Amino acid sequence: MTYQVSIFLENKIGHLEKVTAVLKEAEINIRSLHLNHTANGWGILNLVVSNPELAYQLLNDHGMSAALREIVVVKMTDKPGGLDNLLKEIVKAGVNFTNAYGRVVNDGVSAYFVIDIQDIPEARMNLTNVGLEIIADQNVYGI
Amino acid sequence: MYWEKEIETLERKDLEKLQVERLMKTLNQAVHSPYYGRVPEIRKAIKTGINLIEQIRELPFTTKEDLRNDFPWGFLASDKRDVVRLHSSSGTTGNPTAVYHNKHDLNSWANLMARSLFAAGVRDTDVFQNMAGYGLFTGGLGFQYGVEMLGCLSIPAGAGNSLRQIKLMRDYGTTVAHAIPSYLGRLYDVFKEEGLDPRKDTKLHTLVIGAEPHTEEHRLRIQEMFGVKAYNSFGLSEMNGPGVAFECTEQNGLHIWEDAFIVEIIDPITLKPVADGEIGELVMTTLDRQAMPVIRYRTRDLTRFLPGECKCGRTHRRLDRIAGRSDDMFIIKGCNVFPMQIEGVLMKLPEVGEDYRILLETIDDQDEMIVEVEVKKDWFKGDLSFLDKLQKHITHLVRDEVLVRPLIKLVEPGSIPKNEGKAVRVFDHRKK
Repeated sequence: MTYQVSIFLENKIGHLEKVTAVLKEAEINIRSLHLNHTANGWGILNLVVSNPELAYQLLNDHGMSAALREIVVVKMTDKPGGLDNLLKEIVKAGVNFTNAYGRVVNDGVSAYFVIDIQDIPEARMNLTNVGLEIIADQNVYGI
Repeated sequence: MYWEKEIETLERKDLEKLQVERLMKTLNQAVHSPYYGRVPEIRKAIKTGINLIEQIRELPFTTKEDLRNDFPWGFLASDKRDVVRLHSSSGTTGNPTAVYHNKHDLNSWANLMARSLFAAGVRDTDVFQNMAGYGLFTGGLGFQYGVEMLGCLSIPAGAGNSLRQIKLMRDYGTTVAHAIPSYLGRLYDVFKEEGLDPRKDTKLHTLVIGAEPHTEEHRLRIQEMFGVKAYNSFGLSEMNGPGVAFECTEQNGLHIWEDAFIVEIIDPITLKPVADGEIGELVMTTLDRQAMPVIRYRTRDLTRFLPGECKCGRTHRRLDRIAGRSDDMFIIKGCNVFPMQIEGVLMKLPEVGEDYRILLETIDDQDEMIVEVEVKKDWFKGDLSFLDKLQKHITHLVRDEVLVRPLIKLVEPGSIPKNEGKAVRVFDHRKK
């Protein structure tokens, strides 16, 4: 199972840095970042990191509200139209996600697309059925 | 089971007779103070005598302002040589209020405290940890002397330093602890951070909570967290401090010790007594204090008498938990709001932590009530829509309770500053 770390954050100066300071101290690498803010002064920071379990543990120990949230990550090509091609396949698979973000990979030809969705097992099945490649944990975390 | 059976179960008519007797004694003592020496109604009452307890209504009220204006010695009714201790408010704004005690007063106070704790089931076999601040705040020494008189093994831990509190509890097998309710949520968090469960890893069976108004929901939450009975304690430094009124093991209202105080409940606007059972402002007169008697003190605390007799057999009347303070009430968008109403809503929600703040702000020339609420860590699953729904839900509940639509702000756990003394909940930043 693949996880992102989700952190509840108030929109205040220095709050994002509190998170990154903890990760830096533990030498945890951030692979991808997505910040989701509401009009009510708070939001959720989603991180794909090299060691999500450790990051989750450390952030909670530092008094922050962090959660491990399961995601599914699929491969796409890193060229114009790559995302559109991928989304056409996702539409075919009938998968409706609540949140998504991406990341390029340093092989120069591919990128990863992170999908945050309620029913992960069903999404995995549907995405596989249309022939999409689901990325293994160690590749997502870049270990 | 009583600490002083005869006085605690005294027939009402005999209790009132005792009150009248002690009131006359108190007036005769009070008149020696510079302040009460100037009050003609007191001189008159001493001359003509008082036969009925209701006649106390002919005497003027004493307010906190009066105590401040005649600071420091205006209310001292005995020779300074006999006074052995003072307690005082912090006085960060203007003069503090100081209260003086001689040896008799301290003994009488300790006895009320011991009587209160005994009524809540505390015995000389208990180990009592007092987590209140020692010093000018009465919650430290006030409990200390009572606990010693009762005969418990006392641990004068003082406030704060949660790791040390937990260590003391475990080292000495603390069975009873006293703290302000807002601190206990913090202490519980530290238990959890240490991988401990107070229900299993301590011998606690009773908590005493006071010095801060709190709701029944808050009490239930504390009982659940620690797996104990939590008893409500009421006091104010002008009336000694803790030990003024206390819950017995029935946990149904606080017996106020009427051999030591005359208790009235008045309408804070008309200043007339409210109908029996109605909420109003508590007014108190000391009956057993020599160094500094205080007559008809307006406490600003809002409460009511609970009707009927208590199953425990004590005849001293019961006060309902404090519903707020008459000076805590604020008016926003034309509605009168008591912070305790908002607390009542928040404490019913399991997702919400014990700490909250109410900020009154002027935003675009409109007065707004912002309520900052901490979401408990266990409830956070990284789900934006859950938090969104929670925020809307709280907004509705508060709106239904106080008739003003609040701006609910969800904040990170632990981000609301903790107070060591009484928690300050309301911050008024409105442009006047």
